[in-house]
Amino acid sequence: MEALFFNADAGFLEGVVRGYKAGLLNQGNYNNLTQCETLEDFRMQLSATEYGNFLANEPLPISTTTISERATRLLVDQFNYLRNNAVAPLDKFLEYMTYAYMIDNVILIITGTLHERDTHELLERCHPLGVFETLPALCVATNVEELYHSVLVETPLAPYFRDALSAADLDDLHIEIIRNTLYKAYLEDFSSFCASLGSPTSEVMDLILSFEADRRTINITLNSFGTELSKDQRARLYPTIGRLFPAGNNVLAKADDLETVRQVCEGIPEYRNFFEVSRGHAAGVNGGGDFDDDDDDPESAVAAALEKRFFETEVHYNKLAFLQQFNYGVFFSYVKLKEQEIRSLTWIAECLAQQRRERINEFVSLW
Amino acid sequence: MAQKERTLFAIIGDEDSVTGVLLAGIGHLNEHQKKNFLVVDSKTQISTIESAFQDFTERKDIAILLINQDIAEKIRPTIDRYNQAFPALLEIPSKDRPYDPSKDSVLKRVQKLAGD
Amino acid sequence: MSGTGPREAVFPTRQALTNTKLRLKSAQNGHSLLAKKRDALTLRFRQILRKVDEAKRKMGRVLQLASFSLAEVTYATGANSIAYLVQEQAKTASFHFNLTGLGRGGQQILKSRDVYTKALETLVELASLQTAFMILDEVIRATNRRVNAIEHVVIPRLDNTVQYIVSELDEADREEFFRLKKVQGKKKRDAEAAEFVRKKLLGDTGEVQENSSAWLRRS
Repeated sequence: MEALFFNADAGFLEGVVRGYKAGLLNQGNYNNLTQCETLEDFRMQLSATEYGNFLANEPLPISTTTISERATRLLVDQFNYLRNNAVAPLDKFLEYMTYAYMIDNVILIITGTLHERDTHELLERCHPLGVFETLPALCVATNVEELYHSVLVETPLAPYFRDALSAADLDDLHIEIIRNTLYKAYLEDFSSFCASLGSPTSEVMDLILSFEADRRTINITLNSFGTELSKDQRARLYPTIGRLFPAGNNVLAKADDLETVRQVCEGIPEYRNFFEVSRGHAAGVNGGGDFDDDDDDPESAVAAALEKRFFETEVHYNKLAFLQQFNYGVFFSYVKLKEQEIRSLTWIAECLAQQRRERINEFVSLW
Repeated sequence: MAQKERTLFAIIGDEDSVTGVLLAGIGHLNEHQKKNFLVVDSKTQISTIESAFQDFTERKDIAILLINQDIAEKIRPTIDRYNQAFPALLEIPSKDRPYDPSKDSVLKRVQKLAGD
Repeated sequence: MSGTGPREAVFPTRQALTNTKLRLKSAQNGHSLLAKKRDALTLRFRQILRKVDEAKRKMGRVLQLASFSLAEVTYATGANSIAYLVQEQAKTASFHFNLTGLGRGGQQILKSRDVYTKALETLVELASLQTAFMILDEVIRATNRRVNAIEHVVIPRLDNTVQYIVSELDEADREEFFRLKKVQGKKKRDAEAAEFVRKKLLGDTGEVQENSSAWLRRS
């Protein structure tokens, strides 16, 4: 993408998204929010921010689910505005972003349909960013074969399905394996699409997507310890992009314990500190438990810390995207940052609702 | 022994409570595809809760019936009337409402008996 | 008091008295045994009451912790669909591993699972206490009923019976005594008369004979 023409096509939207970004909550807002006593206060504090009166019409008591739903709806509205105004190739880029949510939705529908659940209930639960026109059509299918074909015909995800799975797989494989297979295909595809957009978008996105791929690889490895997932299957779920690929992935495919994973991450300077658990942090993570054997084993402390490091790193990379001019990465990063913000808000609300204020600061703030 | 057959939990609760205990592996579908749990949200009818309660207490394979306290509150008369030993009825707190012992129908009996 | 209350339908004989006394004795024995049983049960009951109370409060805390761990899951996965997947995957109750959250948040899910498993253990403990509570409650009620029945119905009834028999026997004794006295008196008079006749016969036979026959006629 030439910087020269960038503004002609996407300059307006970039301005809009940077404006949105300026509306993200800052440290001061978070400070105020964490001082709240009740969800009522929480709502008051939020009304002074970009969120405005988004909770004004909710009956008390507000559930944390409602808060996260409403906040997500705001994000979706913003995103749809961007999308409606986008021209090629930005529209394609934004569409790619929605695929990730579509994967989750399609998986949800598949699970629900196979169990003959109520269609409307299913659709309600779908992530609004991943909703596409023909999604309800999937609910019509009654058996696996039919479902597979309607996925192929009706969804934008067809290429991923076609390449990665057969109708028989849909029946045999665990739904999580399907999900991760799809996600792997999606990440690879998205990455190659970004590469085709040229610099600087490709550079910015490469950083973010590589990290996302590595995060998935590490997570899948860690989470598959002690499950029936074979190493062979595991290796097939690793995305073939990212900084751990290919050497790191090969080692991870054979890994049996946390130590191996740690060694692999040692190879990448940015990932090196992922597994360093300073005692203070571990204590902070586990300090909330008031029954004896909450989790004293270091492995789960590492894992808990790891998840937080991942979030922090993700936020960091996404913020980097805004330092570059003339790239599409800002759109992606904005959505991710906003999502993180919604998660943080939900966390704070959850802490308030459950009266666990001592852990209220364990979210990842953006600035 | 009839108790030998009673190996299941059942739960009537909000989504989070149900998810939690299902995560621990208590979910069960019997041969008629009948679930041993009921998710209650703000739209659920009281009559649905009542009938699920009747259903669970009459089933012979359920040993422990969990119910969120705020949901129990909605069908309190039925709960107070319930005095079978099996299935054992436990009122549990939901995530944003701390447990209130003074409302528990069993604890009420406990206090009454401890008082005299 | 005696004989006024309800009593057993028995003949007032010594045999019956012995029997009834035996029964009274065993009723009193039974009463004291049952009372002891009741006291022991009540003691146990109170212990359980305390434990139920404790366990209920503990459960409150444990479950709060558990639902908080679910909040961590929500934070890590950032999706509400997890609840649905978990519900859909329920087939048979067992401690099986699943792959939910493989790509993301799996560690939190595992942790939450553990916390919930522990919480369920607490719940099972509580449930068994509660069931014990219910059953003990029932047993104590039954025992109490029996203690009261023995104390207020069976024992007074037997008591009354004993008193009734005793009084009847006394009555019979008195009658017997009176009858004996009477017979004795008569016998004595007869003996005196015979003596008198015999003396008369020895001394003045004719007069005595007349006298004695007149006396005999008179009596």
